[in-house]
Amino acid sequence: MKKVFRDTCILFALAVLSVFVISIVWVGVTDEIRLVLELFALSFVISLGNYFLDEYTSLPVIGSYAVKYIAATAAVMLFGFIVGWFYRSNFWMAFIYVGIVIVLAYFIDAFKIKRDIEYINSGIRKKKG
Amino acid sequence: MRIEKRQVEGQPLTVIIEYPEWNDSVESLVRKIGRMDISFVGKTEEGSVSIGISDVYYIENVERKLFIYTEGDVYRFDGSMSDIESRIEDTALVRISRTCIMNTDHLKEIRQIRNSHLEAVMDNDEKLIVSRKYLPDIKRIFRNEGL
Repeated sequence: MKKVFRDTCILFALAVLSVFVISIVWVGVTDEIRLVLELFALSFVISLGNYFLDEYTSLPVIGSYAVKYIAATAAVMLFGFIVGWFYRSNFWMAFIYVGIVIVLAYFIDAFKIKRDIEYINSGIRKKKG
Repeated sequence: MRIEKRQVEGQPLTVIIEYPEWNDSVESLVRKIGRMDISFVGKTEEGSVSIGISDVYYIENVERKLFIYTEGDVYRFDGSMSDIESRIEDTALVRISRTCIMNTDHLKEIRQIRNSHLEAVMDNDEKLIVSRKYLPDIKRIFRNEGL
């Protein structure tokens, strides 16, 4: 199932890419395409930040997500102001958008960690008889 | 596969592999056995000691100096983490944080402790902090051993 989901995501990304390339060639960069490209650039910036946080800090899980939440929200707000996503009155929406993503990521991560620990511990038990 | 063992006194440990045809499984077996023979030169105040990979519990980088920990001793190692990492491929040693490499053969348990940190408990009850990032690498070692 995991492989099917991963393949679906790859196929989806390729489909979006092909549609975008054709659209850009035919009609140029529309507002929708610009928005998706902006989201891609923002995702890259956030992923880069995540990489450095994971590589150079060893915070506990909750601490790590708290730092990521603050950093990602700051990145979204800054990016949003630069590309004109937010008005001065609704910039706080960034906290909600990022919050939803972070909470989901936290629960998925916590589940994966628990499963990995169980797998490793059962491997140790098997190995030691 | 047939496994034969016999004691031959006065001889070093010798492994003879007989195969009908050289294939990937044989190659992997030869590589794994070869990796068991890896040793590190540890330094103490008295001099240098050869430490077999199976005796290593963990290797830690403390203030840019590497230390090899066995069940009850600590040795200084002249080299870098990347030197060690290049030699431990296909062995039970795996990186568990930016500063530590652990031997999973001496791992007793992995657990999540109260503040959500991960902790590895070794056979000698020493505890090491495990970075979440490296958990899949530890898992891969046990998956490969299960094959």
